[in-house]
Amino acid sequence: MSAENVIEVRGLVRRYGDLTAVDKVDFTVSRGEIFAYLGPNGAGKTTTINILSGLLRRDAGEVSVCGFDIEREPVAVKQRIGVVPEESNLYPELTCRRNLEFTGQLYGLGRTERRKRAEELLETFDLSDKAGARFGALSRGLKRRLTVAAALVHSPSVVFLDEPTAGLDVLSARALRELIRTINRNGATVFLTTHNLAEAEDLSDRVLILVKGRVVTEGTTADINKQVTKVGIVSVVFSGEVTKEALRGACPAVLSADGAGDKWQLQVSRTHQAVAQIISFAEGKGLEVMEIDTDPVSLEEAFLTILEGNSSKTKGRR
Amino acid sequence: MSQITRALFISRKDVESYYGKPPLITWGLMFPAVLMLALYVKNPATYLIVAPGIVGMTMLFGNTSMAAIVITWEKRSGTLQRLLLAPVTARTIVLGKAASAAAYGAATSLVLTLGLVLVLKMPMVRPDCFAAGVVLGAGTFALLGLTVAVRVREVFEAMTLLNFFRFPLLFISGVFMPLRDLPVWARPIAMVSPLTHVVELLRFGVTGQCWFPAPWIPALIVLAMLLVGWLIAGAAFRRYANQ
Repeated sequence: MSAENVIEVRGLVRRYGDLTAVDKVDFTVSRGEIFAYLGPNGAGKTTTINILSGLLRRDAGEVSVCGFDIEREPVAVKQRIGVVPEESNLYPELTCRRNLEFTGQLYGLGRTERRKRAEELLETFDLSDKAGARFGALSRGLKRRLTVAAALVHSPSVVFLDEPTAGLDVLSARALRELIRTINRNGATVFLTTHNLAEAEDLSDRVLILVKGRVVTEGTTADINKQVTKVGIVSVVFSGEVTKEALRGACPAVLSADGAGDKWQLQVSRTHQAVAQIISFAEGKGLEVMEIDTDPVSLEEAFLTILEGNSSKTKGRR
Repeated sequence: MSQITRALFISRKDVESYYGKPPLITWGLMFPAVLMLALYVKNPATYLIVAPGIVGMTMLFGNTSMAAIVITWEKRSGTLQRLLLAPVTARTIVLGKAASAAAYGAATSLVLTLGLVLVLKMPMVRPDCFAAGVVLGAGTFALLGLTVAVRVREVFEAMTLLNFFRFPLLFISGVFMPLRDLPVWARPIAMVSPLTHVVELLRFGVTGQCWFPAPWIPALIVLAMLLVGWLIAGAAFRRYANQ
């Protein structure tokens, strides 16, 4: 394992009977980054987290977390990671403080250390006034916060967050995203699965998109946007009137055009190529481009485009 | 920090969460106390024959049931997953869970025994053997409950499966009649039942007599069963964890 990579996955395969939930997946996660693992329902995200955290066995491939193989040295890996499952699952009958202290006991912290750590986390997560409340009596948002806090009791090197803000109201979700940034600033690598693409775009350094158990793309948000070929929008104002036919005839990158006269909104394939073609078209007609504006592709658009592309490829294969 | 220490923390947490609750302790005591009283009222001269068997039966039903209820509850609520994600081995989890269930079973059995000694004047010839029977029996039965519960989803499934073992054991383990009164063909079957050895140890504690030439024989057999039960339960947990 490279010193910079805290997670290395090579050729990971997991099958449930005839269904291949994770199919030859490769990726690495560098120390200190926030890595978003995206995909639609049933893509294999939770299966991957379960394999990386030692809850599931793999059928093939190599998995190294913090330099250890999870199947050969599960205790060593588990000592170094914190996991926040999709459902908050602390002990409902225990108080918030006791839940954190018990987690500290499981991770081998001494009495003084675990008490200090529990108080620190209660304060950081703004739960000090709920320290004596039973976990089962907390609201969904507070339960989620305490579950994240419990994953940090032993100061793990890597934190796995499975849909951390699912089901939370806007304010709780925003507060939790800020806490995820704090966890990362404090040195932990964050492995995040989410359906919320804006959240992934906002939080993550790198993104991997998984569809039907296969990696369809991986990289920074900007890298992924560059791979998208269909979803750019260009708004343009010419110094004189042009027709739709002339515009589309001269600019192959323009897929559709809305507007009339000198103002047009164009759906384009590769944005940079389209802009060059539009300017060249205007010059050819002896016009000037008075205004031109391109909307950046959001990760959501990129994600949907990739999904569409993947779906049509699958249909094509059939 | 060793795995044994972590097992003790799991155990303490379970006692705090489940077994230390007064309604549970009362529930564990009511049925055997009433049964024992009924047998005593019917015939005060012969209740001693069945008293050790009733204590053993209390542990068998109480420990297997409570261990199974706790595990199925934790599986449903997701809290068992917390233990599987922690740096503890499957055997450590089993040790912690079995120790708390065994502590509950031993405590209820000892309270029941204390009542029998004080109220019904039950003799106690070898308290050390009796205590050994309680501790070893409570542990073995708790492991049986854990092994079954980890394979099923619902409490009723666990109870149904456990009853396949528990009721036959009652008839072949010398609970209601001493081993010497069992038909000859049934005795080899009785030897593979942990309840037989637990009841014989308890009986030796109460009367100073048992079917075996010496009390260390059933003690050693049930100890071996306890260790094998721990390994089997650990393997069952590992299998569940990796499903």
